[in-house]
Amino acid sequence: MKESNVGREQTGWRAELKVLLREPPLLASILVVFALFAIFIIYPFVKILLVPTSADWIRAVTGAEYLEAFRNTILSSLAATTTAIIFGFLYAYAIDSTDMPCKRFFPVLALLPTMAPSVVTGLAFIMLFGRRGFVTWNLLHLHVDLYGPFGLWVAQTIAFFPLAYITISGVLKCISPNLELAAQNLGARGWHLFRTVTLKLATPGIASAFLLVAINSLADFGNPMLVGGNYHVLATEAYSEVVGAWDLPMGATLSVFLVIPTILVFFVQRYYLEKHSYVTVTGKPVAGLTRVTCSPMAKWMLFGFCSFLCAAILLVIGVVILFAFTTTFGYDYSFTLDHFIEGVLVGGVMKNSWIASISTATITTLFGIALAFLTIRKKFPGRVIMDFLAMLPVSLPGTFIGLALIMAFNDGVLSLTGTIYIIILGMVLRQLPVGYRQAVAGLSQIEKSLEQASTNLGANSFVTFKRVVLPMLKNSLSVSFVYSFMKSMNTLSTVIFLVSPEWNLASVNIMSLSDHGFLATASATAVGMMLTIFITFGVVKLIFRDQINIFDL
Amino acid sequence: MSEYVLQLKNINKYFGGNHVINNVNLNIKKGDFVTFLGPSGCGKTTLLRMVAGFYEPDEGEILLNDRRIEKIPPYGRNCSMVFQEYALFPHMTVFDNVAYGLDVKGVPKNEIREKVAAALEMMQLQGMENRYPNQMSGGQQQRVAVARALVMDPEALLLDEPLSNLDAKLREAVRFELRQIQQKMGLTTIYVTHDQSEALSMSDMIVVIRKGVIHQIGTAQEIYFEPKTTFVADFIGTTNLFQVVAGADQTVTYGDARLHTEFPVKSGETYCVSIRPECLHLSKDPVDGEINVEGTIRGKMFLGEKVRYFVDDKLGMEWIVDIFDPGRVLLDGEVFIHFEEEKAWLIDERKIDKD
Repeated sequence: MKESNVGREQTGWRAELKVLLREPPLLASILVVFALFAIFIIYPFVKILLVPTSADWIRAVTGAEYLEAFRNTILSSLAATTTAIIFGFLYAYAIDSTDMPCKRFFPVLALLPTMAPSVVTGLAFIMLFGRRGFVTWNLLHLHVDLYGPFGLWVAQTIAFFPLAYITISGVLKCISPNLELAAQNLGARGWHLFRTVTLKLATPGIASAFLLVAINSLADFGNPMLVGGNYHVLATEAYSEVVGAWDLPMGATLSVFLVIPTILVFFVQRYYLEKHSYVTVTGKPVAGLTRVTCSPMAKWMLFGFCSFLCAAILLVIGVVILFAFTTTFGYDYSFTLDHFIEGVLVGGVMKNSWIASISTATITTLFGIALAFLTIRKKFPGRVIMDFLAMLPVSLPGTFIGLALIMAFNDGVLSLTGTIYIIILGMVLRQLPVGYRQAVAGLSQIEKSLEQASTNLGANSFVTFKRVVLPMLKNSLSVSFVYSFMKSMNTLSTVIFLVSPEWNLASVNIMSLSDHGFLATASATAVGMMLTIFITFGVVKLIFRDQINIFDL
Repeated sequence: MSEYVLQLKNINKYFGGNHVINNVNLNIKKGDFVTFLGPSGCGKTTLLRMVAGFYEPDEGEILLNDRRIEKIPPYGRNCSMVFQEYALFPHMTVFDNVAYGLDVKGVPKNEIREKVAAALEMMQLQGMENRYPNQMSGGQQQRVAVARALVMDPEALLLDEPLSNLDAKLREAVRFELRQIQQKMGLTTIYVTHDQSEALSMSDMIVVIRKGVIHQIGTAQEIYFEPKTTFVADFIGTTNLFQVVAGADQTVTYGDARLHTEFPVKSGETYCVSIRPECLHLSKDPVDGEINVEGTIRGKMFLGEKVRYFVDDKLGMEWIVDIFDPGRVLLDGEVFIHFEEEKAWLIDERKIDKD
């Protein structure tokens, strides 16, 4: 009897399509989204896979320098990810579960490096510990060469520790304090409590954070370029193939190799870990009692550790500012604005970066929300594919995206190379997952009945979206706007292949200036970038007039 | 034009292979207050949502004033709904919330103002136009939700457990008020609830649903005193259900007790009888002219206006007996349960519904 019932149930794509046909504007918008995805995501990524010939593939897997780059990439990112995760966890744990001093100050400071391109850490590293570094040369008069794996490891650890901290802090906040209280009530204390409850519960979240940081460090371009020296990784190797040897197919081949580990990591993270997590990273923090689970000694050790990390961050920021505003730091300490004027105001790179980033932020925010509305709230054939495509770029290294775009849009109808549009396109692809995810999280928190109430009162999907959904998502909208603006300003790997003499960007300028030894101008540009980001935050905050906190990202 | 505002014809709905609405037929007259009553998961909300358009029936027709609507999207139906959790737009003031539907429809501004003012006045919300939902109590929010639905002048008003989020005292007051407004406006209304006292106190017609099947449609009195199935008897109020065996000449027997019935019972078959606790009485000796069942008091609860006794009879059945105005004396030990024959209601089902 049951079997005969199943046949009459109207489900599956036919039924979904039938419902869709009754709302033509909705159907049209779904088709538009798929068309956009086909042109701007599927086409470039297929194209880059088709460019290398079989000879290129063979050369890539047999060439000693490429194999070495591959090995270096894996090793260096593993090392940096491990330390960044350990630092991030200790930092998050210290802030979350102790009553140590400066609890409000530490989180803010940890996020400062995210306001600047990750390459700034490398830049600071050179200025402090390089061949003519302030510490190594001016203070200690040493002839050391820290370029290479060690320098890269230090620079990447400092650069990616904030990301680890943000993610793990989200995980720890979602563990109900009541669980720890319950464990204490049952007699668990100190290390035992930490090991059996806190760490156990946080493990899936930490693993997830590990993979996230790993993706970022695998794809990192600026730091290996600056402090890697002769230690080549895939991202820099692909760059020198394209820019140095004009071997586009080889660059493409290497960037595809870079995609393999990141795609793998992405799948593990998204389809395995998320399902096996006790707490969700995006979930709401659990309100509860404040509890003390640390001994005073552990607390002060953690405090010392946090202070040390903060000192390192302040050192990075500080040395950048000092270099930017003195004539020649280390030799001539007189104050000057020359570097600042040269790095920020001349040449228009800051203006270009700003225009591209603000456009990107606008597009990703609005498009992300429209996408989320479709995939979360509407049923249509291909919904899963749309969700997958929207999330896919998060796993792709910036250099891969950049290369794919120049290969796909170099000529023909859509010849975009050398324009600002290809830069914006690259940035949008990179940031879309963020805007989309943020919107999905926001939408999931809105009661479905609110939208039903709206349609019940006579509003169709579009009116409902505009008048009910959009206003209620104002907060997550402004967060993803600010975040994608900041990330687009800072991105280097995505745009390195996309910039042209006409449309150069500040982040690229920082990299090439430091690479050519113009450390002061590079520092000044970095400072200018941070200022630009801060001022834009201020303006956005005034416009949205709500309590978005950039440090809550 | 038929005399019915809303007609459901042979409605079937499946979710993942489960038959959640099973061949439902229902006709609702203009101005009727109809309640869908049943335990949670019985399909009553699904049925309401199909009328609103949030689900589409897999089979069957829905007619609203003779117009087929089952394929029309929710925004084309004019069946305003009041949601269980109110679903007020948090970013809009009370005025904007109530005006929303009219505004979407393109009604002129001054007309909107008049209509919203009238709706707010009816729900006694004057002076609250500029408040936001989160600045109001649950009861006030509920009134806004009703005003927002009423202002649309719906062809049918749909209410999805609208009182379940209010505290008990308020619930009773709003219940009365809602019913008055509905009668004054002559609004055809469907009300979904699992609360039998809400259903009994408000409805012109009650539809008792279980597992997607309509068990009974009738007035409150019919549902209460003349349940068609043991499920209805058991779900509405408290009842005593016992199995009887039919004898010759229109009688059924329970142990020593013999009851006459007008039902065309078949000799030798088993039937089920329902009798309400308040229809039963207790005494130390059998009472002439009534049905008597011997038993032992096993427990009792003093509830203020009544004492509820739990009495085991010789056949192992546990009776619930409510004695009103009990005074201070409580009974104990061996007793006779006695009741008037016509208070017992015979249910024509082959066997007692076990699940």
